[in-house]
Amino acid sequence: MKKFEDFLSEHPAQWMVGDKEHGDIIMSTRVRLARNMEEMHFPRAASEEDILSVDRDVSGAILDDENLPYQFSHFDLSDKTVVQKQVLVEKHLISPQLAGQNKHGSVLISEDESISIMINEEDHIRIQCIEPGLDFKEALRRANEIDDCLERNLSYAFDERFGYKTTCPTNVGTGLRASAMLHLPALTMTKQMRQLITMMPRLGLVVRGMYGEGTEATGSYYQISNQITLGKSEEEIVQELESIVLQIINKEIEAREAMLEYASIAISDRLNRSLGVLQYARILTSEEAASCLSNVRLGIDLGIIQSIPNELLNKCMLIMQPGFLQQIAGTSLKANERDVFRAELIRDIFQQCGVLNNNNGDKGEDSYDV
Amino acid sequence: MICENCKQRPATVTVTVNRDGEQIIKHYCDVCSGQNDFVNQEANPTSLDQVFSSWFGMPAWSTDAPKKNEQQMNQVSCKQCGMTYHQFLRDGKFNCPSCYDAFHEELPSIFKKIHNGATEHTGKVPSGINQVYQLKKQIESLRQDMKALVQNEQFEEAAVVRDEIRELENRILEGGGSNEEV
Repeated sequence: MKKFEDFLSEHPAQWMVGDKEHGDIIMSTRVRLARNMEEMHFPRAASEEDILSVDRDVSGAILDDENLPYQFSHFDLSDKTVVQKQVLVEKHLISPQLAGQNKHGSVLISEDESISIMINEEDHIRIQCIEPGLDFKEALRRANEIDDCLERNLSYAFDERFGYKTTCPTNVGTGLRASAMLHLPALTMTKQMRQLITMMPRLGLVVRGMYGEGTEATGSYYQISNQITLGKSEEEIVQELESIVLQIINKEIEAREAMLEYASIAISDRLNRSLGVLQYARILTSEEAASCLSNVRLGIDLGIIQSIPNELLNKCMLIMQPGFLQQIAGTSLKANERDVFRAELIRDIFQQCGVLNNNNGDKGEDSYDV
Repeated sequence: MICENCKQRPATVTVTVNRDGEQIIKHYCDVCSGQNDFVNQEANPTSLDQVFSSWFGMPAWSTDAPKKNEQQMNQVSCKQCGMTYHQFLRDGKFNCPSCYDAFHEELPSIFKKIHNGATEHTGKVPSGINQVYQLKKQIESLRQDMKALVQNEQFEEAAVVRDEIRELENRILEGGGSNEEV
């Protein structure tokens, strides 16, 4: 079984590496199911005793089920450090809310990190499945698999009229939130994103930043998810979202083609400058790093930038985040210290990869174990 | 600084009221500032709670007196956890699964606003949920109620409950619902 430390490693999980259709635009798809147990107060109002008993029942049901084709590890978050929890958030294994809450919370994570089950977050149970590329069906199938396993062992809070009972009325019914993580640099540069964001609520969808609720869109990454959870079946919700996502992908492709056609030298200049910043900058804020990495990825997708593998960008995207930076540094860093360390790490990664073929001997004093 | 209202908790909210060109500054704790409606009189940054409350049709700090039946509804509380309907509107969240039963009547109008008019679940149903089983559970709890009423010599009320039980029993005899065979 994997140890806790293994889940903190900076190796991108499998769902980040995938090589699916439109994989250059849609990074991953995710499905989340919210469930609660009957006759137990929801976590926000539950006693410590109840919370622990929910934790025992849920983790027991999953860990003892021999038919489940996944190997899970269970972690109690109350004895983890702030940085460790932050790293799990940055790997999308737990929510920022679970990392920040004072109440006892825990998580079950599958070996390949594609399934995580949060226990005692806002709801007793939150099942989350991530798939690389655009594959809502598979994500939903796996979430249902876990759900069915839990259902056999626990009694769920369910209302015949209103469906699955959840702490927040915004999740009632299916308890399903499906989301797609999209990289939309061309729509962002051509200012079409703003229109799209204001239009989405009318379609019952929401656009958010990379880390869900209340987060900013950094580096042209957007999370698009369903707002409505009641009155539609799980399949309908997922199909509607998928058809919108496909339309957005096509808009992005059109915008990229138009950009290449009408402003190819300007675009090439802009994207190559970003590569230069990543290779030579001495101070990099997370915003600047994210936007440069986004530009370089676009450069690779458009064939403007060669010789940089996508895995390298994935790795940079992971480790440039505050939690990872501090984990690698082995100490807590202030914001300005992080910006310097971030620049050093990214420079190093690009150098190790042999991107700088004509090495100018400008390597940092220390080498980092990345 | 201590809250000017309860004089116990530390003040965390500063309220500036502009009355006839005169500025009055008051300091309250988060509990008292939530209970009083003065906050509503001047522009305040909208909190999430406020957004929720306005979604749910009844602003938490409404200056209009609520209608009578709304007032009655606000008194309704969940038997399991004690949460009142008023609290639910303010928090925008339930405290326990039984809150759904306690506020059952009011919920469709709330869900409608959030879920684009939808009030009924049409998706997955846990295989353990069997309608006949549900009806039997309901009957069981009604029988308990009836027993208590009889013991208190509230025979008229007991008769009403008895009729309810009969109706449910008839529904079981008629097949209980589509799920019976499942």
